[in-house]
Amino acid sequence: MTNVSIMTFNILSILPILILSGFGMIVLLVDVLSSRRLGEKNLLAYISLIGIILAAIFARSPAGTTLFSFNESFAIDNYSLFFNFIFLLSTGLTILISHSYIKREEINHGEYYALILFSTIGMMLMAAGADLLNIFIGLEVMSISIYILTGFKRSKLISNEASLKYFLLGAFATGFLLYGISLVYGSTGAINLKQIASFIASKGGISDPVLLMGMGLIIIGLGFKVASVPFHAWVPDVYEGAPTAITAFMSVGPKAAGFAAFLRILITAFGSAHDEWQKIIYILAILTMTTGNVIAIAQTNIKRMLAYSSIAHAGYLLIALVSANDMGVSGTLFYMLAYTFMNIGAFAIVIVLSRKGDEFIQINDYAGLGFKHPLLALAMTLFMFSMAGVPPTAGFVGKFYIFSAAIKSGYIGLAVIGVINSVISVYYYLRITVIMYMKEPTREFAPLTISPLIVAAIAISVIGTLHLGIFPSKVMEIAQQATLMLK
Amino acid sequence: MLAYLFYIVAAITVTTAVYLIFEKNPVFGALYLIQTMVSLAVLYILLEAQFVAAVQIIVYAGAIMVLFLFVIMLLNLDIGEETKNALPYQRIPAILMGIALFTIICIVIRSKLLQGKQDQYTTAFVQGVGNTKLIGNLLFTEYLLPFEITSILLFVAAIGAIMLAKRKL
Amino acid sequence: MLNLVALILLFPLIGTVINGLAGKRLRKETVGYLACGAIGLSFLVSFMVFIGLLQLPPDERLFEKHLFRWIESGSFISAAALQVDPLSVVMILVITGVGFLIHLYSIGYMHHDKGYHRYFCYLNLFVFSMLLLVLSNNFLLMFIGWEAVGLCSYLLIGFWFEKKSASDAAKKAFVVNRVGDFGFALGIMLIFLTFHSIDFTEVFSAVSHGNFEKGSFTVTMITLLLFIGATGKSAQIPLYTWLPDAMEGPTPVSALIHAATMVTAGVYMIARCNALYLLSPFTMTVVASIGVITALFAASVGLVQNDIKRVLAYSTISQLGYMFLACGVGAFTAGVFHLMTHAFFKALLFLASGSVIHALSGEQDIRKMGGLKPHIPVTYKTFLIGTVAIAGIPPFAGFFSKDEILLEALVRGNFIYWSLGAFAALLTAFYMFRLLFMTFHGECRVDHHAMEHLHESPKNMTLPLVALAGLSFVGGFFGIPGANALEHFLAPVLGGHGHTEVRGAVSAGHHGAWLPYLMMVISTAIALVGIFLAYQMYIKKPGLSKKLAERFRLIHKLLLNKYYVDEIYDAIFINPTKKISTQVLWKVIDVRMIDGSVNGIAWLVGRIGSVLRHLQTGYIRNYAFYIVVGCILIIVLAVFGR
Repeated sequence: MTNVSIMTFNILSILPILILSGFGMIVLLVDVLSSRRLGEKNLLAYISLIGIILAAIFARSPAGTTLFSFNESFAIDNYSLFFNFIFLLSTGLTILISHSYIKREEINHGEYYALILFSTIGMMLMAAGADLLNIFIGLEVMSISIYILTGFKRSKLISNEASLKYFLLGAFATGFLLYGISLVYGSTGAINLKQIASFIASKGGISDPVLLMGMGLIIIGLGFKVASVPFHAWVPDVYEGAPTAITAFMSVGPKAAGFAAFLRILITAFGSAHDEWQKIIYILAILTMTTGNVIAIAQTNIKRMLAYSSIAHAGYLLIALVSANDMGVSGTLFYMLAYTFMNIGAFAIVIVLSRKGDEFIQINDYAGLGFKHPLLALAMTLFMFSMAGVPPTAGFVGKFYIFSAAIKSGYIGLAVIGVINSVISVYYYLRITVIMYMKEPTREFAPLTISPLIVAAIAISVIGTLHLGIFPSKVMEIAQQATLMLK
Repeated sequence: MLAYLFYIVAAITVTTAVYLIFEKNPVFGALYLIQTMVSLAVLYILLEAQFVAAVQIIVYAGAIMVLFLFVIMLLNLDIGEETKNALPYQRIPAILMGIALFTIICIVIRSKLLQGKQDQYTTAFVQGVGNTKLIGNLLFTEYLLPFEITSILLFVAAIGAIMLAKRKL
Repeated sequence: MLNLVALILLFPLIGTVINGLAGKRLRKETVGYLACGAIGLSFLVSFMVFIGLLQLPPDERLFEKHLFRWIESGSFISAAALQVDPLSVVMILVITGVGFLIHLYSIGYMHHDKGYHRYFCYLNLFVFSMLLLVLSNNFLLMFIGWEAVGLCSYLLIGFWFEKKSASDAAKKAFVVNRVGDFGFALGIMLIFLTFHSIDFTEVFSAVSHGNFEKGSFTVTMITLLLFIGATGKSAQIPLYTWLPDAMEGPTPVSALIHAATMVTAGVYMIARCNALYLLSPFTMTVVASIGVITALFAASVGLVQNDIKRVLAYSTISQLGYMFLACGVGAFTAGVFHLMTHAFFKALLFLASGSVIHALSGEQDIRKMGGLKPHIPVTYKTFLIGTVAIAGIPPFAGFFSKDEILLEALVRGNFIYWSLGAFAALLTAFYMFRLLFMTFHGECRVDHHAMEHLHESPKNMTLPLVALAGLSFVGGFFGIPGANALEHFLAPVLGGHGHTEVRGAVSAGHHGAWLPYLMMVISTAIALVGIFLAYQMYIKKPGLSKKLAERFRLIHKLLLNKYYVDEIYDAIFINPTKKISTQVLWKVIDVRMIDGSVNGIAWLVGRIGSVLRHLQTGYIRNYAFYIVVGCILIIVLAVFGR
């Protein structure tokens, strides 16, 4: 073979990725070239935001329809576009909430923004990857960026520890994932998801134990990324140790990316083996929801509480994965978007209220907030209500769709457990509200430095949470279109 | 003949890897790691993946391991202190679980021979085109995207290394 | 122009939001004129929509403005969409028109109140809710407006919530309305079950295509349930008790509740659902009977009340009874016509009484008034016009509409309806003029202290009075017999069963063409008799009323205590409920069982949480161990789990 065959690739299909990597490098260059006097580095945040907006503008299928490029290994369909939107939104919001935070913590380096942009590239690749190799590379790009970001507060021991823990356990889980991928490749001779699917279809389902183990190992690897029990243990420690803005970021972006890959792999490649994997995910879902919610009740640190709450939310999303019908998939998309708004919003408020060195992140520090800063408390209440799933917020609609998907697929027991769990969760979400409004303040709130960017982030989150809660149909319609492309 | 060679090299690989874990002297540990890497390279050659074998030697055994040794020697690390076992109750279950996992994997793997992707790339075909050239072709056609994204991955890793290592930013 | 309809809703909403969020920081003038301006703009747009609707041919006067898709769940699809048709246009014109005048009046009336911005915020929200109610094109959105109106009435009746009577009245209004709302909600659910849709157009076209035979059980149930809702909102027997108490709110609020918003909702709803109601003769009989009984009942209570606002409140209940009587005999147009004229003169009467109260520094008892005529001339004149209008003297507004209803009751209904209605009209004329005479004529019984401050209200309060007086005068001509503009306008919605047809039938049938004219004469005569009696008793022989009260002490006491209905309700519903609530539900079920189990579960879950927390050791190898355990679990499940 001396001729190199011209493959089908469309450079436009990866335009958002190119834009983001370009802007990542621009950020680095500007950081290096600009004088240290510039100090404030506001410019870097704005450059990153411009990059995100440009990427969002170009994140569409060039032909307006589903498009597979790079030898069918990269899919631009409504599914990946929807997820791209979630990633870019979470990245944008993260940058908005980071700006003042990293100044306060004195970790105001250009690398911070660049790494966030690079990890977004990884996420996009995970959502759009139509073969296991792309998904894996995407996952690594994302993970490594976040390992570094976790340890970004270099002078803080807790941050270093979190980074190391995350890295080691992440590498461990990646080992399982990679082993699984190689076993799947070994049994089917393919890494392309569609080819795997057609191989399984040609055999009339999976009976091959090696392939089944491969599938199981992939579930483990991705289960680690989305923080499902029992692969969740890193979450509280890492969330607590990481810079708060990064905690917000990694509770949303990587989780969404993990679910994007999870759904695409399990439904596209192993769709005909639904019976084989649903029982695994079923058990994971129950374990994840219950563990997350039950332990969250006992938390006193708000970052740890939100960490366990994020585990619980992963559990709800796994319910949607189990049901594996169109409604479940669109429910996942919707829920992920809702979760982006409410979770980043909540973290934004945590950032506003804390001080340098993560002071004041105990739940009791929120006592009396309702009187001192009524608007902040109101926003926080909204986010907490939304996470608890109280109408008319986004969280309620998301849960509603997910539980209905489970019922539609016949998993009534699972839906019931989900509802019980969300009732449990009301306890610790509302506790924050109760503390904010019904307890006397124990500390001084006086000089809060609130930058306009973080106010914008909170405002966007509030609007998003309410909008999705009150007018869900438009977004849901888009999410439903996204799922049609999946099968 | 090749099968015997495989078993011998595989046994060396596993043994040195186990030694690496239990070795307390960091220099010896690094040497065991080199041995593991080289044995892996031999395994690649046995699988007719000469290019990968060469890369394995150059990158891991050559570059990375030399770096490891330098660091260890420069820092003048002593034999590791016996850290006290903070989780005494985990030891027995952990060993049991390890054995269980190993057994399960063995049972599963033994149940079937893996064939991989065979259709086009037969041994004769690979030898005809040339191992390196074939990999190059594939990297720049079929696997162009992952190949290019890997550059970002390396870039991120480089940033990370600088971030974590540099004294003052 | 019809596309502008969303603006009608938008302006009051903007007013609410601005006054609600920033009202505290704005100047009083700004707050008031902002609220007024919002309703004024709303009225202008309503008028433009009206013009736009007129330009369409009568059969095509139905415009739906789709705003957004709202709730979708399986087969249940609900859009937020507005509907413009003659009926809703009449309603929005009345609501925004009268509402605007009341807003304007409020600027002066509420000027010294410290909750100024809160008041205008609620007031705008009230108008918004009512507009939503009448503009929606489906039952669900209507229900939202319906509930929002209830909420606003709660907020406004209890506006002076420091006063216990005010907050009690607010609670009462809310709870009584909830009873009605429950029926309404059940009715909507039944509609969805029956028609698989809650859109007005779809439901009514399904009805008109005749899939349901007359008197079918389902339709009767639906209409009865909806009617329960209407009795709550429109204060009919048995759910009327909240309305007299509702006067605890500021007087302009009473005007708003009694005239433009709230109580008209029930009448509107029944008129809107006329297609359904016509299918159920039984429900129609119920509606008409309840209507006429309420009319008579409330009028009789009104005879002896001594609080100026309370008399007006009972007169509202009585007048609403007329409207239901009209609906019940199938004369929906007449009902809506009376709704409109009533809005004019009742708003006028309330605002004028507010002006009186204002002038007397808060005095509401008519026994402590009298002879106010020379002191507050504008208020007197306008009050007189309103009284004449409600009493039914031609050519004032109330005459035409009430006469219309009585005629329809006779022709379509029966003699009993008519005679009861006519007797109620007699009582109405009597008690209204009693009110007028006791307030403005005769000797002055005002105490010195209030006398010193006696003054005519400022311009921005009298101006709305004059405007409403004008409307009360000319309002009747919209529906004057012969060239009945209103009836023709409403015909596409309320069907061809307007009264022209009746008059045609009358003239062709055995009644003869003279009947309507005879009826007019009789109505006028009845009103005049009532006025004459009032004149005799309260001007000529002031002692007569006391003697009569002595003579018929029992009846007087019964009427004065409003037939003891509140007490009866207390004894039958409220006290037993309270008792069961505190003794059984609260002390046993709530405290022991529910709280106990909830606290127990919370405690248990908390304990489990604290135990599980210890699994979080912080050691990587520990975490890795969990991963391995999970890994074994998953592989075993995947490979051997089949």
